[in-house]
Amino acid sequence: MRTIRSHWLGPVALEMWLPLVLVATWWFVSAGSTSVYFPPLSSIFASFARDWLNPAQLDRNLLPSLQLIGAGYALAVVSGIVCGVLLGLVDTLEQATRPLLEVLRAIPGVALLPIFIVLFGIDAQMKVLLIAFGSFWPVLLNTVDGVRGVEPLLRDVSRVFRVGPWRRLAQIILPGASPQIFAGARTALAISLIIMVVAETVGGNGGIGYFLLNAQRSFAISSMWGAILALGILGYLLNILFRIVERSVLRWHRLQQSRLESSR
Amino acid sequence: MDMTHDDVSTVDVPDAVATRPERSARSGRGPIIVAQTGVIILALLVWWCASAMLPAGIVPGPLDTFGTLVALTTTVPFWGAVAETVWSFGVSLVLCIVIGVPLGLAIGSSRIATQSTRLVFDFLRTIPPIAILPLVLLVFGPTFEMVVVVVALGAIWPILIQAVYAAGQGEALLKDMAASFRIPRAWYVTRIFLPGALPFVMTGVRVGTTVCLLLTITAELLGGAPGVGAEIAEAQVALDNPQMYAYVMVAAILGLLVNLGFWAVQRRLLHWHASNRTGTAS
Repeated sequence: MRTIRSHWLGPVALEMWLPLVLVATWWFVSAGSTSVYFPPLSSIFASFARDWLNPAQLDRNLLPSLQLIGAGYALAVVSGIVCGVLLGLVDTLEQATRPLLEVLRAIPGVALLPIFIVLFGIDAQMKVLLIAFGSFWPVLLNTVDGVRGVEPLLRDVSRVFRVGPWRRLAQIILPGASPQIFAGARTALAISLIIMVVAETVGGNGGIGYFLLNAQRSFAISSMWGAILALGILGYLLNILFRIVERSVLRWHRLQQSRLESSR
Repeated sequence: MDMTHDDVSTVDVPDAVATRPERSARSGRGPIIVAQTGVIILALLVWWCASAMLPAGIVPGPLDTFGTLVALTTTVPFWGAVAETVWSFGVSLVLCIVIGVPLGLAIGSSRIATQSTRLVFDFLRTIPPIAILPLVLLVFGPTFEMVVVVVALGAIWPILIQAVYAAGQGEALLKDMAASFRIPRAWYVTRIFLPGALPFVMTGVRVGTTVCLLLTITAELLGGAPGVGAEIAEAQVALDNPQMYAYVMVAAILGLLVNLGFWAVQRRLLHWHASNRTGTAS
């Protein structure tokens, strides 16, 4: 295996060459394209700039999506962690509810869209609930596993020293489970993006999904490609944001752990 | 390394999943089954109350739904729809595995290939697969091909990316040993490299399997390709709520069967792995 130069330029070039080559290839191959479905990349970029880089448009195209996914995802993560900690700590409860949870979890979130429409109508509230329901399960199940995986010795020691329940939760159980909670939250993020797009195709609240459906119906293929690009960028940025949050939270966790060890 | 860190966190999931059946077997089974049945009955009661309290017809009760489901199972279209969904799901999943796993392992075996493809894969995997549905729908129409293209393009990423990561996970000691004993390349690959990568590959396949089913139903529901998803949409348009609930329940049952099937396969393939041996799980 070839060793890579430690100079920073090496790794950056290594990561950048393929994306650049692919985009360039796409640009040149599609340049004279007359295919209806695969327009030239230049016109995709043009409609992307028109629909997604213009502040006046963003209010209608992007903002509703961000609100939906923000609310739905937050709801899923918070309720998933709360319920997960509860089930993770009370073994009997977890075992008793396991079959029911397995059934509920197995329902593909999108399949519930028609039911949610009947129950909650077609406005933002229904969409938030649908996103929350679909992305709740990975957070819940990972939290349960994470809480149960907390070092038994730490639990015992904290019990012996009569650490209060709230302190035990905040300083031992949650930090111990956090790597796995984050794993669940990452899956939940991907799911909530999917459900967001699907939910937005009903009703007329705007948002990326609504835009995409409209573009498809009016056969505006370049706009459609532009929206796909926008969704990709949104997903990418959300993932980076997630990674930053995860880093900082888990760093705190690592520091805490090393302090625990050194003070022993 | 950036990418490995974020995938490390997903890696310990299958261990916990795999130990679940043992856990319940260890403590006495009897009372737990009673409690589990109780919880399910309670849930059905809540469902029944909801249906009784809301204006008639909005939420069909459990009896109504199960009755419709049983009646449906005697009809040909029902099994046709189920078969379509299972077939689309199966073909897409096999495609994803057959392409994703070897490609991922090959890329992961080379540091240069791993770093070169990282940004591309990272970007492609974050595009919600549903975004390309309108485009694929225009090209293929509401067909089996449309479903397979959407599902495969969406579900291949977790499998591929986890396989890239898996290739780098072989124990360094084993690798050195193989080199110093001059073990033939083919031997090294089949006896050391592949078994070492398998547990990590399985994690990707597990996530990919769930995504596959979700996307199959979604593509049918929104794209109108024949299958369980399309039946849900059809019942919705016809305002036939019991039938809609029955088909959603079918989707849930399919999901459950897929999960169970995956556990069975994982236990068989990874029976030697620590996560499946008794006594090691905490």
